[in-house]
Amino acid sequence: MIAAPRKLPAPWVLRTFVVLILLLVWEIAGRHGSQLLFSPLSKVLTSGLQIFAEAEVLEALKTTAWILVVGFVLSVAIGLVLGLTVSMSRFTYQTFLPVLLLLYAIPQITVLPLFVLYFGSGPASKVAFGVSHGMFPIAVSVIAGVQGIKPLLVTSAISMGASRWQIFRRITLPYLTPSLFTGMRLASTATLLGVLLAELYVSAGGIGHLTRRFGENFQPDKLYALIAALSLMAILINETMRMLERRYSRWL
Amino acid sequence: MEGEALIKVDDVRHAFLSKTGEEEVLALDGINIDIARGEMVSLIGPSGCGKSTLLNVVGGMIAASQGHVLIGGTPVKGPRPKDVAYIFQESALLPWATILDNIKVSLEFQGVPRASRDKIARISLTAVGLDAFGDSYPHQLSGGMKQRAALARALSLRTDILLMDEPFAALDEQTRMIFSEDLSRLLANEHKTIVLVTHSLAEAVFLSDRIFVFTSRPGRIKAVLNVDEPHPRIPTFMTSSKFNDLRNRLYELLRDEVLAAIGKDRQGLA
Amino acid sequence: MSGASSAGQALTLRLSKSQKRLSLLVKIGVLVALLAIWHLVTVDEFVSPFFLPKPDEVLRVFFNIIVTGQAWPDLKVTLFEFALAGPIAVIAGGAVGFLISLTRYGTRAFEPIVSSVYAIPIIIFYPVSVMALGIGPESKIAHGALFGFFPMCLSTIQGFSRVDPLYIRLAHSTGASKSQLFWRIMLPAAAPTILTGVRLGLMLSFLAIIGGETIASLEGIGHRIVWYAEGMQTGNMFAYIVFVIMVAVLMNTALSFLEIRRGRQ
Repeated sequence: MIAAPRKLPAPWVLRTFVVLILLLVWEIAGRHGSQLLFSPLSKVLTSGLQIFAEAEVLEALKTTAWILVVGFVLSVAIGLVLGLTVSMSRFTYQTFLPVLLLLYAIPQITVLPLFVLYFGSGPASKVAFGVSHGMFPIAVSVIAGVQGIKPLLVTSAISMGASRWQIFRRITLPYLTPSLFTGMRLASTATLLGVLLAELYVSAGGIGHLTRRFGENFQPDKLYALIAALSLMAILINETMRMLERRYSRWL
Repeated sequence: MEGEALIKVDDVRHAFLSKTGEEEVLALDGINIDIARGEMVSLIGPSGCGKSTLLNVVGGMIAASQGHVLIGGTPVKGPRPKDVAYIFQESALLPWATILDNIKVSLEFQGVPRASRDKIARISLTAVGLDAFGDSYPHQLSGGMKQRAALARALSLRTDILLMDEPFAALDEQTRMIFSEDLSRLLANEHKTIVLVTHSLAEAVFLSDRIFVFTSRPGRIKAVLNVDEPHPRIPTFMTSSKFNDLRNRLYELLRDEVLAAIGKDRQGLA
Repeated sequence: MSGASSAGQALTLRLSKSQKRLSLLVKIGVLVALLAIWHLVTVDEFVSPFFLPKPDEVLRVFFNIIVTGQAWPDLKVTLFEFALAGPIAVIAGGAVGFLISLTRYGTRAFEPIVSSVYAIPIIIFYPVSVMALGIGPESKIAHGALFGFFPMCLSTIQGFSRVDPLYIRLAHSTGASKSQLFWRIMLPAAAPTILTGVRLGLMLSFLAIIGGETIASLEGIGHRIVWYAEGMQTGNMFAYIVFVIMVAVLMNTALSFLEIRRGRQ
């Protein structure tokens, strides 16, 4: 389109500037709004951040982090197995992909009470709900990855005498690595969402539960501090996964 | 030549299901070809005449509906990686592996012990003049160099037979000329038996001992042209009157078939 | 043919007629088998009806919901919330996305912010909504609008900023005006991506509302599921879950249809 005039600062300068303005708006609005609902940035940073010294908060962080890791690892494992099973052949693909997509399309939040019914209100239901969110993005990415393999690479390998296992090990697996990392990035966000939903719902420990309690007790500084920390964590995880994704798809 | 043919195509006929899966399409009919050891043969014909299918039947990648192929006297029942190496239209190199690793993986597929893979791979890279590019990735090479790498891979498999499925199709004109010259020189030394599928009249004449001209679908052999010219062939062969006569005859033979093929397509469209 | 080559061809060849038939049979078979297992384990209460109600029981309640319209009061609340939250998400997301994508500079400066925030599970802001707006419909509307905003905004940016420059050059070379450029080139070219954003935005907004109702509410269809769950009325809970899933799937199907039809033009 129209060429940008030369004197504009680099995009990241403007980006940082806008973020700073938003933080300033937060500060000013926080000072003038109801102290029951709002809390200026400065207060969140001073008194709010103190919650991370509280044993209860640390305990909740630890619980959620642990559930998240278990949920994520299980999501990757189950998603990978599901994805590879569906992509095993044209037949399994056409037969089971619709079933998988049908399950994926179910709004999972509606079945959250079922998870609590079956897995109890402890960590098990949180892990399970996290996995139910995380495994589909992995499976779908793996399937898309395998579908993207050039048939000629497989034909060529067969002509050179490759066994099924060799084709899997030398072609399928390396080929789907980038999609697997894309899936893992999406799954990490989805698993976090699932775990937090479960924690908000069952109200038994964890960060999700804590945000709910700070909200109900009208402790905005603590609530905002926790949300800010969680958001930062989510962005950090996402960016790390994005970096890995780029690293493993350099050959694309 | 009877009896000592390395490749014997015996009354092959092949039909496949159309895209809708409802009707059978006859691709090849009544194909008989004997190819002697060390011979270089081209298959040429209009698009869709089944020449690539025949190549895949010879390589054991497709089972013919009828008839059979013998390699060294034994019937082909599947891929024969010890006897046959392929070069495809595209290089079919693994994009995440270096050229050297690509060749090593191919040797692994073929069942060559790990210890000797590196040495074999390097020798064949040197043979095609790519020894400086072993550590490069496919996307760092030009189209011509990638095909050269594919050639190195095929050579490293040390098979008697090389099947080439339009190996120059994706290359630009200058690259194809140089590549054909190199190929002719290399193959004269290696003493391989070669079957080449091509669209290019000049390539067929320049590289082959015999050219099989196919009719439009269903593919039948319409004519066989002999090219009496020793290998390796040099660029001046391309400007000789012998070359031009052969090329023109080939053109006449093909013209009718291509027109017929176009006519069939038009009917199909109407 | 050898096993290896049929494995390779599995990836490239179409299914034959008989394979297609078998594939359909397996699909139906899986569903029938699941229903049969459900029936078998519940018929003699091998699994307690508290954990798994009988399928016919669920079916009965489900039809009851449809016929008597007993879900209507709750559905009305949810749909009201959605009728406000969905359009707010789509319009606000579309507008912000459009403003950002007006210049390439704006896209480069702000797209990373939007895509980073998109990675945050917005659900953690729900306690703020509840704290500020209470557990009535207002907090669901705010939450639904916020949830749907980001996918819509991101899709709009991507739709506009990834228009093939060739089209734009073509328009300039034919002397197209700014409004012609927008209506004739930019919008049609970006439409498929933006429509995906509309579908995602609306669906996520709807699900966020259900989620809000599940977590903290006194009314709405999501709350009804929880209400039955806490009342240990598993049969009713199942029927309502099936009902909500059907509403969501119908909605998604309708939006996908729209997306595919418009996107094809």
